[in-house]
Amino acid sequence: MTTPDTGHRRLCHELFDAIERGDIAAVDRCYAPDMTLWFNVTGEEMTREDNLKALASGTDLHRRRTYDDRTISTFDDGFVVQYTVNVITHSGARVALSACLVAEVRDGKITKLFEYLDSGKFGSR
Amino acid sequence: MDEYEIRELCEKFFDAYENRRVDLLDGIYSDDCVIWHNVFGRETTRDENLAALPDSYKGQRRRTYNDRTINTFHDGFVIQYSLDGVQHTGHRGSLWICIVATCRDGKITRIDEYMDSSKFAAWAGRTSGGAS
Repeated sequence: MTTPDTGHRRLCHELFDAIERGDIAAVDRCYAPDMTLWFNVTGEEMTREDNLKALASGTDLHRRRTYDDRTISTFDDGFVVQYTVNVITHSGARVALSACLVAEVRDGKITKLFEYLDSGKFGSR
Repeated sequence: MDEYEIRELCEKFFDAYENRRVDLLDGIYSDDCVIWHNVFGRETTRDENLAALPDSYKGQRRRTYNDRTINTFHDGFVIQYSLDGVQHTGHRGSLWICIVATCRDGKITRIDEYMDSSKFAAWAGRTSGGAS
């Protein structure tokens, strides 16, 4: 039997593994139809469709991007994951960015994402 | 600690910050508490954090920690909130911040803080762009 804790952890890994592979269909399977993503850099909420489009167009921005050091804590209806995005640019430069994602989950799908990072670090990419 | 104790500790922590009660914060941090900030990418000790607080308060007339959305897990909490500041000039600004904390025996043992440094200037009223 899957507990909420293991279910949320698995969902979190499925999301990040799919983003890492650039597998947008697999990302979509993690999302509820009414999923929204709020981003601390813009202060705006993005729909599921807009997020999937942004992910699809972002896959070629870097040579490789991995989501490492995932520290996941789960609660009844969601999870928080603290992680490091490691980027290898097309020029071969390596950049690391620390970020945090809070997710709300319903019926095994993500309904809301809140992403926090420091855009002041973007310049070092 | 159960969920209610963790929530209460979280609220106490932010109330103490808001009311500039460094003495109360001292009792909320465990002796080995460390605070990590994504902006600086390094850990500070509880003593370094407490020593820096009086100076950090000088910039604003008032600071409140609002819209606190708290979720708890077995050994800690995550809180999403707005830090609303009123500068001495009267300028008002907001920062959106997320903190993940671990707790033990009624104290906070670790804080990881995530915010966007590109909003700092607008928050302090030094530019017209970004969060305000």
